[in-house]
Formats: sequence, structure tokens, C-alpha cells
Amino acid sequence: MISRLRALWNNIFRRQLLDRDLNEELQAYLDLASSEKIREGLSPEEAYRNARRDMGGVEQVVQSVRDVSAGAWLDRLVQDLRYGVRTLAKNPAFTLVAMATLALGIGANTAMFSLLDQVVLRLLPVSHPEQLVIVRETGNHYGNSYGPNTISWPMFEDLRDNNQVFTGMFCRFPATVTIGDDDRAAQIPAELVSGSYFPILGVGTSLGRPIAPDDDAVPDSKPVVVLSNSFWRSYFNGDRTIVGRTIALNGYAMTVIGVAQPGFDGVELGNPAKVFVPIMMKTEMTPHSDGLKNRPRRLSWVTAYGRLKPGISAQQAELSLQPLLHGILEMEAQQPEFTRNTTEADRQLFLRNRIKLLPGSDNKLREDMRRPLWLLVALTGAVLLLACANLGNLLLARATAREREFALRLAIGAGRARIVRQLLVESLLLAGGGAILGLALAFLADRILLRIYLPADAAAEFVVSTIPDVRVLAFVVCVTVLTSLVFGLLPAVRGSRTEISLSLKERSGALSTGSISLRRMLVGIQVALSLLLLVGAGLFVRTLRNLQDLGPGFPTDHLLTFSINPSLNGYSDQETKSFYQRLNLNLQTMPGVESVGFSAMPLLKGYAWQNAVLGKDFEGAPMEEQPVLCEIGPDYFSTIGIPVVAGRAFTAKDEGPAKYAIINESFARKYFPGRPPIGQRFGLVDELEPVSPDIEVIGVVADRKYRDIRETPPAQAYFPYFQGAHFRFMNIYLRTQADPRLIENELRERMRQFDPHVPVVGLQTMNEQIGFSLRTERLVASLSTVFGGLATLLAVIGLYGVMAYVVMRRTREIGIRIAVGALRSRVIAMIMREVFVLIGAGLLAGFSLALALANLVRSQLFGLNPRDPLTFIGSAVVLTLAAGLAGFLPALRASRVDPTTALRHE
Amino acid sequence: MPATQSDLLQGTLDLLILKALALQELHGMGVSRRIAQITGGAFDVKAGSLFPALHRMEQAGWLTSSWGESETNRRAKFYALTKAGKKQLHTESERWERISLAMATALRTT
Repeated sequence: MISRLRALWNNIFRRQLLDRDLNEELQAYLDLASSEKIREGLSPEEAYRNARRDMGGVEQVVQSVRDVSAGAWLDRLVQDLRYGVRTLAKNPAFTLVAMATLALGIGANTAMFSLLDQVVLRLLPVSHPEQLVIVRETGNHYGNSYGPNTISWPMFEDLRDNNQVFTGMFCRFPATVTIGDDDRAAQIPAELVSGSYFPILGVGTSLGRPIAPDDDAVPDSKPVVVLSNSFWRSYFNGDRTIVGRTIALNGYAMTVIGVAQPGFDGVELGNPAKVFVPIMMKTEMTPHSDGLKNRPRRLSWVTAYGRLKPGISAQQAELSLQPLLHGILEMEAQQPEFTRNTTEADRQLFLRNRIKLLPGSDNKLREDMRRPLWLLVALTGAVLLLACANLGNLLLARATAREREFALRLAIGAGRARIVRQLLVESLLLAGGGAILGLALAFLADRILLRIYLPADAAAEFVVSTIPDVRVLAFVVCVTVLTSLVFGLLPAVRGSRTEISLSLKERSGALSTGSISLRRMLVGIQVALSLLLLVGAGLFVRTLRNLQDLGPGFPTDHLLTFSINPSLNGYSDQETKSFYQRLNLNLQTMPGVESVGFSAMPLLKGYAWQNAVLGKDFEGAPMEEQPVLCEIGPDYFSTIGIPVVAGRAFTAKDEGPAKYAIINESFARKYFPGRPPIGQRFGLVDELEPVSPDIEVIGVVADRKYRDIRETPPAQAYFPYFQGAHFRFMNIYLRTQADPRLIENELRERMRQFDPHVPVVGLQTMNEQIGFSLRTERLVASLSTVFGGLATLLAVIGLYGVMAYVVMRRTREIGIRIAVGALRSRVIAMIMREVFVLIGAGLLAGFSLALALANLVRSQLFGLNPRDPLTFIGSAVVLTLAAGLAGFLPALRASRVDPTTALRHE
Repeated sequence: MPATQSDLLQGTLDLLILKALALQELHGMGVSRRIAQITGGAFDVKAGSLFPALHRMEQAGWLTSSWGESETNRRAKFYALTKAGKKQLHTESERWERISLAMATALRTT
């Protein structure tokens, strides 16, 4: 073994010395051989000549010694590589097109796979993420809820203390807090966590210590905070003396006890937490909403997680948790908070609620992006397939052109295996080059994709990294090798089968009949895949167009919006109320502003305040049927552009004690059918106390979309904001005279002067906000368009190549036809017939493929059928025109063949 | 080395070279002469087979080489058996004897 290694070493690095030694050794041999011959009586010259002849040539012996040397394969590989690089460099146009094709296929695939991997496939960056589950209660909760994955604090405690299946449980609540109290004040996402959060996740700190169970034992007792690593770097410049210092969160002094380990940004993808605070500090972090101290069971707000004991599956755990939950539900159903507003039927329904365990990595962004990302991965897969077909085609064309070269090499003694290997090495070189280019492309593409997908401020600190990781790299390598095998092997095997005598005789018309049908097939595949991608692009672009045309029903131009929350600065209700009233007056006088509308809930952000209502002849309703409610300031309707169809809008004078509401037409139809709505009364169902219908309807407005632009307007009721008792965040809408972007900077400055401590959040135009809400659709539409366009381009190149080759091969035949009197138009028709057969076959295959796959994209479409005939026909027309043109050029050339030249040609 | 040479033939050549070097160290021509001598002239190993075999066996660790002076006063490379080479000679001889015995028995059987 060692001697082999030494020999290998010598062969590679001391090659000259070895060659000299070998030469000397052979010279000595020749010497001895000729002196033997001299002894036999030959003259010295003759002896030497004979000896050389016997030996069979020094060079040949040297070569055969080299062939058996250790590392000879390396030698040959280097030779193949050198030769490969040289041949590729000799044909830069081919190399460029081939590598660009590959880079495109590999780059697009890597980019999409990186994104899919990080957003959808990967688990949380904690120890044994597969053991983590979200503990969710399904069914109607008969209370207020912060979302489907939440349970009440007492429920969490009951489950935590009594279950048999988890090694531990923790819970969290995402909140927004204001950090700092000076010009650098900002709203940041915070994670309120139970004391078991860090130990059970198995997440540590890079500085200081994590939040421990002791920190989370008594409400309001431990004002401590752990910073996320990335936030510590960006906001505190990685200051290592930060531990032990005090920072202001919502105006409360909090002691920094640690910096979390790098890469950990909480458990919710797309909403990276910047600070972690014990959940017992809830009152300080979310003023005016508690849920902790008075232990309400009808308010679900914490997301509970459990770590499964080793050996227990999620299904087993789910089963074992049902009796525990049932016991808790039985107890809850006895409580006045529950019995007050429910019937026996409700109780029966409530007792059927179950525990459901979701994977710990489950979240909305994942859910939302899963389908579009898989779809895009599928599209890029088609692009890669197409790129391979194109390359196979290019390489086949090249192999045909190089038949003479191969024949020559075979004739002078190259083995067929050697030629196959040579072609494979060339393919691998191309694939390698393409992969490197593709990786660079993927890196850029992921950055651009993230920028499209996330608002500017989030993109900067989004946890998704654009650096391809090892798994993605492995994926690329697999794709590359597979690609090079697919497109390298066919031509390689074909190339080595070249018949020497035929090729050398240069009767080019007589050979390669096999290759042309293979190339026709590849072009057919390309046309089919292009049609598939074009149809996809058409469907997605029209979906986006449909959604954009839809609009919310009110004018969105010249509308600017932002939100603020002075209560996070520790302002009391009275201070916040006065803040808003002064701000309203202040903004109304701002130059360029026509009117100002305040609303407690944001428009078109996908969520809403919903509550059951009761009246004389209606009461309660499940969540989906509850009306959408909102508290607004005066001038809201005129600012947004919602017409008042009956009664009146709110004025600044609509402040208690009487309760007023304005409803929309749907609300009126649903709850007061056949009656004039003005003057009717209704009440909001409250879990804590019985209510009477004491809210009087004073106006009716037109139906407009509220949560998102896809919805049909829900039943809605509005209440005057300043009539309430609590004042929290506010969404402010400004109708401007000109382009709202022109006054954005001025507005920021005005807000800073108004109150430098209260940060302005999410300042953007309404059109930007709507545009952002359609980002998934835009991403899919723009990428599928790019892919479709490139696919068509590749198919067109492929078709042109094949037809040009066909024409070249038939030059003689066409020359004869023209010589005997065929019209040039007939020649064009003859070639074009072949072109259209090719396109037609491809289209047919593409159509069947597209029809078969149509249902898979149904959920991604809006306002059109996945088998939309217009899109199908349009794509076919575009493709036929482009490919027809590509085929027409060779046909035209064929018609211009000069018979005399053509016949002399061979 | 022609590609048609079978493993059997290669094994034979290796064994002959090992045997030729069993007594003393020899240079290339010496090996060739010695093989001719011990096989009664039946095998005339040409340079084109000899040198690749010598180099291959050296790299396998059966032979070691050193530079010395030939009868014609030229620098020549002398080959000698290593310990591994001697062992190889032993096992190969045994194997060859087994094969030739088997072959002889097979051919005698009618």
C-alpha cells in the first residue's frame, strides 16, 4: 500500500525525473541488446537498428510503462480535461449557450429549492425539533381568541401540570413593544415566553443566561429580557457589556440578562423575535390586555408547545391527552363565564372539542408559501428538464459535426471507451461550469425573491438566508451529475459508434439517420414543455390581473397609511386619547392632505375584530358568521371613500354616554331584513356579563371589502373610537391631493416633531399595501412568465438547430428538385410542412400534459378555470408563431439553394 | 502491453520474473536472458512486455530497484525481490503447481 502511494506521489510530482530514469534504463537495455548482436557478428549500426526493432520502439515501451504506473488514470483524466477545455474553448458560441442553459436550469432549481427548504421543509433551529409539537384545541372555544393555535393561560397550566406524554411544555405569545424612549425609539417584535421556554427548546445563550423558570414565577416580579443575537448585533452593535444593563421596553426599565445563541429568532418563521421577556411581564408588555392575572378561561391567547417523551408518537400523545382535556372542559362548562351565554346544545358541542398536535414548525407563512413554492419548484423542474433536452440536442448536433474527428481518432487507435469517456468529461465540464454559474445565479435570485416577498424592513433581518447550505449544494451536485449523464451519455454512446470508413469518406448525407430522429424527439419535448410553462404563465398572469382589477371598491390612489401606538410608551388612556385628538387636528392642517381618517383596525391586512351580536330577534353566531367590527374616528368614511347611503356619519361630538353605530348594507340585510335600519338597536355579546341591545344604528354605508380584496364584503358595524374607554394602537389614513409618496418624508418629520418618542410604523401608500398583499401571486406570475419566455427561447433555438441541419443534409436533394423545375415556394412548403409536424406533435403532447396537470394549480388561480381555453389557445399561438419563424429561416435558405453549387458540393 | 493479454498470461510473466530474480538481482536485459535460460528458450520476453511488468511489480512492492553498472559499463537499473516479492513467489509457485497439476489431470482424462 505504502509503496503504491509513494509511486503515485512520484508519478504525479516527480514525473520528469521518472521519465529520465526510464529513458536511461531503456538505453542500457538497448546497449546490452546491441552488444549481444555485435557478438553475433553484426556491424554496430546494424546491431543497434535490430535491437531497436526487436524492442518495438522506445516511445511505445515508455507509453506502456506509463499506462501501468500508479495514477495512470489521473494522467489520462488530466489529459481528457485538458483536451475537453481546449475543444470547448474552440467553440465559444456552443459553450456559452450550453453553459447559460445549464446555469439557468441549475440556478433556478437551486434558488427555488433553497427557498422551499428553508421556508417549508426545515424544522426549527433547536435541539431535536422533530419532538416539538404545538398543542391546539379544536372546535368552538366559546370565547375570545387570538388565533386558531392558541389556548387560555389556565388551560396551558392544567395541561402542563397533568399530562403524561411530554418531557415538558412551554408557551409563548408574540407581541409588539416599543424599545427606547428617545429618537431611536422603535417598535419591535417581542416574544413573551414561559420560564420553561429556553430549557425545553434546548436553546442557550452566547452571552449571559437564558430566562429560567425562576424568572417567570410571579407576575410583574422579574423585569428581565434576553436579546436575539441578530438584534444585539444590529441595535447594540454587538456590545459585550450589554448583560446587566437596563433598557426601556414600553417605558419600563428591563435588565438584559443574556443574548440568545446565534440563528435562534424564536419559534415563528417570518416573524423573528428580537427580544424575549418572561410571560409574567405581560401587563407591562401589552398594556390594557391581561389574560394572566385574573386567569380568564374564555380568552385564548398563548401558543402552547410540548416536547414529546422519547418513544411516544404524536398520535399516541394526542390520544392520551383527550381524557385530560375532557376533564378540563367539563369543569369549564360549569363556570358562569361559559353558562352565561350558551345553551345546552352549545355545551354538548363544546364537550366534543379535542386536542390536536401540530408539528412544532407549523406556522402561517409556511402554510401560505407551501403550495406556491412547490408549484415554483415544479416549474423550475420543467425548466431543468427542458434545459437538458436543449443540451442533449446541442451535444447531438456537435457529435454529428465531430463524427470525422472521432473517426480519425478511432482510426489512429483510440479505444471506443476512451472516446465515450472524453465526451463524458466534456459534459461534466459543461455541467460543472453551469453549476458554478448557476449557484451564483441562485444566490442573486434568492436575494431578489426575498426582496419581492417581504417588506423592505423585514427582508433585512429575515431569518431565511440566501447562502445555499450543504443540502442545497448536495442537491445541485445531484442535479448536475444527473444532467450531465442524461445529456452526455446519449451522444457519447452514439458518437463512439461512428463507422470509421463511412465518416472518412465524407458522404455526410448517408449517416446519422438515428441522430436526426432523436433530435426531432428532443425538440418535440421542448415544444411540449414550453407550452406547459407558457400555459402556466398565462394562467398566473391572468390571475394576478384579475386580482389587481378587482380592487377593494374604494379609490386607492392618493391614500397614505401608517400606524402608531402611544400606549406602548406607557401613555395612559387619557394621554393616548388626547394624543390622538391633537394629532387628528394637526394632520388635517398638513399641506397636501385633504382629509384624515382614524381606524382601530387596519384595512385589507387580512384580519379583523369579530364578535357575536344580539338583538330583538337574533343572537350569537359561530365565528365565521360573526360581523366584522371596527372603531373609527370622524371623517373616516369620507377619507376612505365609502358613501353613506342613509342616516349620517360620525362627528367629533359622538362621545358617550349614548352608544351609536353605523352599519353597512350587508349588516342591515342580515339582521334587520325588511325594516328601515336607522334607529334599530343591537348589542355585543360579552362572556363576562349579560348584555342588552343598547347600541343605536344612526347610519348605513355602502358595502366595501374590508379584510382582503378577494372577499365579498362581510356584514360590518362601526363604532366611534373616542366613545370607548381604552385607547391603544391606531391606523391613520390620509387622503392626499397629489402622489402620496411626495409627502412621506414630510409626514415622518411632522410626526417626529409632534412626539419624538412614538415611532411611526408601516408608512406606505394603500397601493403599496395592496401590492404587497398580492406578493405571492406576483411572485408566481413573474417567475412563471420568465420561465415560460426562456423555455420558448430554448425550444425555438432547438427547432432552428434541427431544421438548419435537416436543410443542410438535404441540400443535394433540394438542389436536384430545383434543377428539375420545383418552384421555390414548393421547397419552402416542403420544409415548413416538416416544421409544423414537429410543432404540432409537441403542442399535442403539451396540451395533454397541461390538461392532466391543470387541477394541481386550481387553488392558485383566481377568477378563471385551470383549463381556460383562451390561455391554452393564446399560448399555442405564441409558441407556433415563434417556432414557425425559427423554422422559416432554414426553409428560406433551402429555397435559395443554387442547384449548380449544391450538385458540385459533393 | 497489448490489451489482449489475459490475466493468466500476465500472472505467468510475473511468476517468471519473480523466479528469474530469486537467485540474484538483475537488470532488465538480465531478467530477459535469465527467463530464456530457465525456460529453455521457450519464452522470449520482449521489452514491450518486460518493462511495464517490472515497473508494475515494483509499484506493487514485490521488487525494489537500485542503480548499478552493466557489463557494458553503463548505468543500469537492477531489480531485486523484496520480502513481499519472495512471499508472492512462494504463493504463486504453489498456485501454479496446483493449476498445472489440475490442467494435466484434466487433459489426460478421456
